[in-house]
Amino acid sequence: MDILQQISEQIDLGDDEKVYELTATAIEQKIPVKRILEEGLLDGMNIVGKKFKEHDIFLPEVLMAAKAMNAGMELIKPLLLSGNIPMKAKVVLGTVRGDLHDIGKNLVGVMLKGAGFEVIDLGNDVSPEKFIETAKREGAQFIGMSTLLTTTMPVMKEVIELLRIENLEGKIKTLVGGAAVSKSYAEEIGATAYCYDGSNAVEYLNSVI
Amino acid sequence: MKKITLHFSIKEITPDREVVFESQGINEGRNVPEKISDLYDYSLSVFQKDIEPKAIRQEITIPEFSEIFQGNGDNDENTPVQHIFSLADSLELFAFTLGQNISDTISGLFSSKDFALAYMLDSIASASTDKAASIAEQYSKESAKTLLYSPGYCGWHINGQKQLFKKLKPERIGISLSDQFLMIPLKSISGVLITGKKEIHTFDNDFTFCAQCKTFSCIARQEHLLY
Repeated sequence: MDILQQISEQIDLGDDEKVYELTATAIEQKIPVKRILEEGLLDGMNIVGKKFKEHDIFLPEVLMAAKAMNAGMELIKPLLLSGNIPMKAKVVLGTVRGDLHDIGKNLVGVMLKGAGFEVIDLGNDVSPEKFIETAKREGAQFIGMSTLLTTTMPVMKEVIELLRIENLEGKIKTLVGGAAVSKSYAEEIGATAYCYDGSNAVEYLNSVI
Repeated sequence: MKKITLHFSIKEITPDREVVFESQGINEGRNVPEKISDLYDYSLSVFQKDIEPKAIRQEITIPEFSEIFQGNGDNDENTPVQHIFSLADSLELFAFTLGQNISDTISGLFSSKDFALAYMLDSIASASTDKAASIAEQYSKESAKTLLYSPGYCGWHINGQKQLFKKLKPERIGISLSDQFLMIPLKSISGVLITGKKEIHTFDNDFTFCAQCKTFSCIARQEHLLY
């Protein structure tokens, strides 16, 4: 088994120490960093994602795999940057202003990173202005917003309206989710997509990039 | 009326393993992989080390609660609580918290990329606050049933927290309210414990807000009333 397959396999097993060691070895062996990313780390996460979708494994196992992938990413990230190798797309992510719940948003972030997206996580209680300023500054293609509360749902609409005012509607797409949000609400406020969980967000983004 | 500060033992608010797994989509009957089982055991030890459970309750009259419930007048026009509390034998305001440490630990674990441990710990903490509410509901007499109803649910506007806090003062056990009426620490629960005949707690879930509901927890609560 070649080293990239081993990385993939160890991600599937959720062994972060092994993934770190193997990624370091792959770098030493001068394997192109893009191959380490795609054929090792992302391949492992793809296998994990597929197993999760088919209910063969549970969310904690996906999260263990994500930690393992992250161990490898820490090593190759500087090389990706210096080699100008882009990630799939950039997503600005946050829990909207007034809401402090962030577990769901964190899980979405973990899943997106695991699928090869660059995630700029703004945390919780994020103002509409901050979402948009960050997306503009970072050249992000997507803004992902989450909320658990019905009272803070209108903040999502504010973000979408601000994008419209700044003529960024369509250029920066919006994804909404969270316990309070529904597909019909997403349609009502003009969000680009409603994602009910992290796996669904990955699926949606992969289908549109 | 007198406020009573309650003490819950860590053991009694430790949730059942099956309840935690179910919240993670691992339903009864499915084999729990060893590494998830080990993760749960470790998370539980962190949970039991980090929590500082505290609770407070205070008896309140129906007219007093009516004023609290009205709040800023933002409740839905028709809510189950308005029909239930007026038929109650007794009412008590209630608040419970696991303390700030556990939330800080969960956030720290996410930052240090320990996603699975953070998620497991969060699931245990959420199940624990639910268990604390269930324990509070067990104080009723045999012929009656107590259930907790909280602002932010079933048409009771979340800004009802403001009036509830004004009366109960959960700040005394370390809970404060954000501008958006969220309780800090997040792993806290508050509301009114309504005690009365079982029948007063039953209602059809056809209120306006039921269409948006994703939990349907009222169904489980009402089924539980039968036992």
